[in-house]
Amino acid sequence: MNGNDIDRRSFLKVMGWGGAGVALAGCDMPTTVTLEEGKETVVSYLMPEEYVIPGRGVWYASTCQQCPSGCGIHARVREGRVLKIEGNPSSPVNKGGLCMMGQASVQSHYNPDRITKPMMRSGGSLVEVSWDDALAALKTTTGEGAEGSKVAWLTGTVSGHQRVLLDGHLDALGTDKHFSYEVINGAVVRAAAKAVYGDEQPEYDMANASVVLSIGSDLLGASDSPMNYSRQYAEFRNAPRGTLVQVESSMSLTGGSADRWLAVRPGTEGTLAMGLANLLLSKHGKDGSGLSAATKAAISSFTVDVVVKETEMQAADVESLAQLLADKGANSLVVVGGVATGYSHGYQTAVASMLLNVILGSVGKTVKSAGGFPFEQLSAQAGSTGGLFEFTDSANKGDIDVVFVYGTNPVFTAPTSTGFADSFAKVPYKVVLSQFEDETTVLADLVLPLASGLEEWGTHVAAHQTAEKSISIQQPVMEKLYKETKGFGDVLLDLLKIRNEADFGKFDDYYAYLVSAFGALPADFKGGADDKTFWQNALSSGVVAVEASKADLSVAKVDVKVASYAKDASRPYNLTASARLGLWDGRYANIPWLQEAPDVISKAVWGSWVEMHPITANRLGVKTGDFVKVESEHGSIEVPVYAHRGVHPDAMAVPMGQGHKEYGRFAKGVGVNPLSILANAKDEQTGELALSSTRVNVSKVSFNEEDKMVRFGGSESQVGRKLVASIKADVFNRTEGA
Amino acid sequence: MNNYSNRLCTGVAKVGLVASILLTAVLILSSVAYAEVPNAVPPKGEYQGEHVPQPIDFPHDTHAKINGINCMYCHTYARRSKVAGIPPTSKCMGCHTVIATDKDRIKRLTEYWENNEPPPWKKVHDVPDYVHFTHEKHLARFVFENEGMDVDRVSEVCAFCHGEVKDMTVAEKTKPLTMGFCQRCHEANGGPSDCWKCHK
Repeated sequence: MNGNDIDRRSFLKVMGWGGAGVALAGCDMPTTVTLEEGKETVVSYLMPEEYVIPGRGVWYASTCQQCPSGCGIHARVREGRVLKIEGNPSSPVNKGGLCMMGQASVQSHYNPDRITKPMMRSGGSLVEVSWDDALAALKTTTGEGAEGSKVAWLTGTVSGHQRVLLDGHLDALGTDKHFSYEVINGAVVRAAAKAVYGDEQPEYDMANASVVLSIGSDLLGASDSPMNYSRQYAEFRNAPRGTLVQVESSMSLTGGSADRWLAVRPGTEGTLAMGLANLLLSKHGKDGSGLSAATKAAISSFTVDVVVKETEMQAADVESLAQLLADKGANSLVVVGGVATGYSHGYQTAVASMLLNVILGSVGKTVKSAGGFPFEQLSAQAGSTGGLFEFTDSANKGDIDVVFVYGTNPVFTAPTSTGFADSFAKVPYKVVLSQFEDETTVLADLVLPLASGLEEWGTHVAAHQTAEKSISIQQPVMEKLYKETKGFGDVLLDLLKIRNEADFGKFDDYYAYLVSAFGALPADFKGGADDKTFWQNALSSGVVAVEASKADLSVAKVDVKVASYAKDASRPYNLTASARLGLWDGRYANIPWLQEAPDVISKAVWGSWVEMHPITANRLGVKTGDFVKVESEHGSIEVPVYAHRGVHPDAMAVPMGQGHKEYGRFAKGVGVNPLSILANAKDEQTGELALSSTRVNVSKVSFNEEDKMVRFGGSESQVGRKLVASIKADVFNRTEGA
Repeated sequence: MNNYSNRLCTGVAKVGLVASILLTAVLILSSVAYAEVPNAVPPKGEYQGEHVPQPIDFPHDTHAKINGINCMYCHTYARRSKVAGIPPTSKCMGCHTVIATDKDRIKRLTEYWENNEPPPWKKVHDVPDYVHFTHEKHLARFVFENEGMDVDRVSEVCAFCHGEVKDMTVAEKTKPLTMGFCQRCHEANGGPSDCWKCHK
């Protein structure tokens, strides 16, 4: 020991003061990173609007353009720039909610890969041209003398006045070839609902149901109106708390939220529905008078033994599920869709499931008529894969000379086995209206650059209607970022002027057309307001309420025939291209926010993966993170494995959306596209693409370290640490009171 | 000699007395004319920022000092928003369609106005993107909700962070605007000390 020794206490004191000194010195160090002094230009207003205060946001009402559900939005604009999107509480679709895809629409708008000028194919490549040149080219192909020429539109879901103009354009050309295509669609369910309930889109009153059995339907995720169902789900979960049971072959977002999640062998969901029907009729004495004799006979053969053998579920699970439905009776709601309907017998599965509502007496109670939309010409022309097949047939027959593509990227989403690429190549002149250079756009002869959804005018009618009907207004929330882009409505108007100058020449732009169209609405519809007030009110609220036309459900005695499970030893697994709220069908793969949002099931970011059961992974000798080759009759993809118990051991699920070969810097080269290797199998009744029915073989492959899967959170369990405490519902009810 | 020196002494004393009276008067007067902002401890710290060339050499002195125009006449958003705002060109032209129209600087301004372009001013005072600073709250604390403070003297509050801009032509950064500078002022004036008040 010498005189310089300091004790622990003094040491800490000195360190404390020293530390404070360092911290204070740090606070006085001018930052070198983000200051823009002397560099950034601060542009003042030339002559500001009186209500504009720099630094304060102004909120404009508009309509989300990210998916066909048509949610109302409020966009916060500051200094002429849109910064934030929220849900519009006045919209009956989302009532103030907004999903991640809607929130991320600003990144679609500000995306650095936007197309800024029209482009025309010249010498094999696309070169930038002026709008005058682009319109002159369109005048040659669709103008005077083009009557008889075979013009077609291939679009996503289109509604509102854009649909009116699109129909007008086809009318002016004397054709009706409008093919509406969406990969993620409810076409099979709509057809089944039409047959069973007499209404293709009844309203499910989830909020007032005591138990919801969802057979494969991802209501809260990739459904036809995720925000509407999410809001209903919140009400459904409020006291008295409803019970959600999900049965599917690979877990969806809705499945992850369920009280009970039951795995079912892929493609045997219909068998389960029939088995439940049998138990309800024979064991629980439910009323079968709404069923046809043939259906009743078919149902009686589905004993618990048959169901267990086919679906590989536990007998006790099937029986308790039937018991639960029987107990809640007419307060039950059975919904079906998603992965369950993606088979050649998908329609039959949907019908069998819907018959459960008939047996339980819930039609008219939890399944109600949503009423009709009174303006048929404005209602959404919902897309389906049927639209794609019709286009392919038509193009193969040489019936299409000019095609306009809008709001869809079929070259990416159509499976190779459908032969879409060849059919598309057969069309002599392809005009693509797009914001981005996607796989379809690069094949175009003429590319028309579109304004973003936050820069254009429009009106929209939600594809999925609730009982509260409305027309949703879309208005530009800021100046266009690129002067030479045009709104979809403006392009349609340009095309119509080429055909019909007399009727449409008077409109300077689509805005003028919309104002005039609103002025022409019936007077009683405007509630006594003059045209200007009515229009201003519509803009500020974002929605115009419309009275639903009367419609009732009428249950028909439909026959149903559920196929039994067919094994295929050479390709033992079923591949599902699962749809996710996020990248959707791939159209949001160029949005970094959505790429970096961890997946709801695998927690993976920026990539693809295949979900498989740990038993299957064991059998294949792989674990989470290893790569496998998933091989169908039509090709193969190599993906990392995510092993978890939310998949049936016979199922493989690869989310769709990744694997872009074009589509900008954020999407290109990330992950793989499961749609590309799907078989061209169709639902026998509706002709819809059977997304879950492809048989595949899976084998382990080696991989490069830099390709490895990136996941948030490495552990699936709490390892007994009770980080999230849980309590059984009956214990909770007993001790906390219900 | 004694008498002389006595007289001299008296004279010195007299001069001293007069001088001290005068000095006191000056001090009293100056303290009336230049009273400090009430209920405020101005932040301490100096900084010599680089001269930022502007498209027009805007003379703050002519406007704020010689003509005594209130800072908030032009920087009208300071009391309403997080940013003080560069005045819209229309505001400049409100006066300069008639005032000093023969001056070169005004001719340049008129040129911008006629081309429908605001002058591309360069930013002089900036805080990093991760700092949330609001003019509105600071003006409320030191001016509008500050008892005994006259809004005509707002420039003294502006000077806390911007220095004596009324003595400058184009604005120059004369205060460090670092976290330590902010933090000490918050401590002295009872401002919030939560991290998230500024970093949010």
